[in-house]
Amino acid sequence: MIQRTNTYETLFIVNPVLEDSQIDAIVTRTKELIEKHGGVIKSLEPWGRKRMAYIINKKNNGYYALIEFDAPAESITSLERFYNLEEEVMRHIIVKLDKKTLLAKSLKKEQAIRLSEANKEQGIQ
Amino acid sequence: MKKTPDNKNNNNGRRTDNRFDKRNRDGNKLQQIVKKRTCRFCEYKIEYIDFKDEKRLLKLINEQGKILPRRITGTCAKHQRILVSSIKRARHMAILPFVSEALK
Repeated sequence: MIQRTNTYETLFIVNPVLEDSQIDAIVTRTKELIEKHGGVIKSLEPWGRKRMAYIINKKNNGYYALIEFDAPAESITSLERFYNLEEEVMRHIIVKLDKKTLLAKSLKKEQAIRLSEANKEQGIQ
Repeated sequence: MKKTPDNKNNNNGRRTDNRFDKRNRDGNKLQQIVKKRTCRFCEYKIEYIDFKDEKRLLKLINEQGKILPRRITGTCAKHQRILVSSIKRARHMAILPFVSEALK
């Protein structure tokens, strides 16, 4: 049977006090966990240390990392469990991207390119 | 104080209440400008509002960090629904504040 997969994106905040190597370890562990449960990583964007809008766990900053991946729905529970057990992950969110949003995302890039081209043309005229 | 015929003309016979009598330099009555607002998301046919898009979301909350109502931003009902959920997601991830820092 072919497993049906959905596209998800997950953003999580890691304790910024840790050293870079320790943070990297957590990020790779999340990646491996997704892959272990039949997921495919589409993109990984480490935002790095960023000032947060409010204090979490007595900290002003946080290390943000964003992963977009394809995975079967059952694997999300284990990812959620991992986040909850991992003490150094301060906040996390997993969002399912439906067809509409995926389409919108790809269109957005095209639109941005088209807009910039249109602006250039207007500038010439 | 409600305006009655008495207190309307009691300032040496001059009319003080000129709220309904605004005139411009030429003496013509000013036309009330009715600006028709359109939904900023419908305008560009945006279907998906990203909760990570801090710059865009910041325009739709006030200084306190409250979500601006539709009547002020002119967003349509459909997009307001999407917007509210993405603002709340952004708040959870500390991208947007629940209460602005300045007011704490």
